[in-house]
Amino acid sequence: MNELALKELLYKMADDQLILGHRNSEWTGFGPLLEEDIAFSSMAQDKIGQSYALYSILHALGEQEPDTIAFTRHADQFHNCILTELPNGEYDFSLIRHFLYDTAEIIRFEMLTQSSYKPLAELAVKVRAELRYHTLHANTWVKQLGSATEESISRLQHSLEYALPYALGIFEESPYEKELVAEGIFGGEQALKEKWKTKVEEVISQTQLQLPDWKTMQPIFGGRKGKHSEHLQPLLDEMSEVFNIDPTAEW
Amino acid sequence: MNMNSLDPRVNRLPVIGKPGQIEPKATLDQFGTFEVFVQPKEGKPFQHEGIVHAPNLEMAFVLAKEAFTRRFMCVSIYVVDTRHVYTSPMTEGNTSVFEFIHETPAQPGEKISYEIYQLVKRGKQHVHAGTVQAVTPQEAMSEAKKVFNTDKVIYNLWAIRTRDIRFTKPEEQELWLTLPEKKFRDASAYKAGDKLTEFLDKQKNQKFYGN
Repeated sequence: MNELALKELLYKMADDQLILGHRNSEWTGFGPLLEEDIAFSSMAQDKIGQSYALYSILHALGEQEPDTIAFTRHADQFHNCILTELPNGEYDFSLIRHFLYDTAEIIRFEMLTQSSYKPLAELAVKVRAELRYHTLHANTWVKQLGSATEESISRLQHSLEYALPYALGIFEESPYEKELVAEGIFGGEQALKEKWKTKVEEVISQTQLQLPDWKTMQPIFGGRKGKHSEHLQPLLDEMSEVFNIDPTAEW
Repeated sequence: MNMNSLDPRVNRLPVIGKPGQIEPKATLDQFGTFEVFVQPKEGKPFQHEGIVHAPNLEMAFVLAKEAFTRRFMCVSIYVVDTRHVYTSPMTEGNTSVFEFIHETPAQPGEKISYEIYQLVKRGKQHVHAGTVQAVTPQEAMSEAKKVFNTDKVIYNLWAIRTRDIRFTKPEEQELWLTLPEKKFRDASAYKAGDKLTEFLDKQKNQKFYGN
């Protein structure tokens, strides 16, 4: 098994889940209604749990402890896509990001249930079950607000157009695409992207939102290679603040 | 005005209002309520857990899942608009609610199915008793009296049209698959009490040895 290719895949997936999990947790206590605050916080917790599970696989492959990986790296050592690190802004953006990202993730983990790397295939079955709720939540909200009032529709439309080029950055290719596909570890970013587009179209077509022509969109890449926006380092500083007070503390 | 808080998340919240501009407060809006029922284990009856606010039935289902099954065991939930729950009078002491439910003569119209919930202890939750066929909620209660009236004192009855309920779909059953593993959601998993005892013991010993 090509270990470099496998690790690259695991790192980017884990970093995505950790960074978005942290961003989404910033809504805890500030959600638009109590029930939604609880739901969004629970999903943020799921994502951080999923990143922990992926970092644990990496640890078994010889990488550092999950806490060390999560809390001691600098921004340019992270492989998350830029979409996940963007500031929350208002709820319409957080919701659209949640929809675009989780739609991709449930398909990614669905594909990974067939992975030739057994620990990942087994984890994927569990993660897929959690993501089933995340996508039910995202799709229901987008269908609801995407057809509700003039304000909700125009807010979501604006956020959708802003987020889409970043969302295409989810599928920035790894240097090991061929190896991953050939060894049956993962079906590849291209295949994932095509399935994602179909699903995004299916949900958006049930709303009054307009999906811009895919051909006019310019994907924003860089995250997978450690080239991030100015927003990631402040997030990492905040996330690791307590850990860094006493890195040896047992919680 | 921007807020100035020690919590950086507060400082990032959107600004409320515009400086120098005075506007009337927006009207208070509030979603309607939906009743949430949870099945804690396979084979156990559904029980009433509480309510959620939501814009519609489907959103209520989505929000109920985390509001009421974040921690405790669950295999299935369902939700129904509060306005679709028909309730009997409430009794107390040794008075059974069935004393106040009178036999309803056969009603014209199509019989449909109603879910019957009963309250067996004041202050506890309503628990699913079973299903009856009736034309109206009144007839459903009267049917319930025939089927579920035993020696046990029942304090309150609910009747809900089955067709008004948003059930968990078969493909959604896996929503709770990993719930038993999420120990980090239980306060007891952090063993805070044990850690405190250990800490206090350490302090006591230090004093004892005159550290």
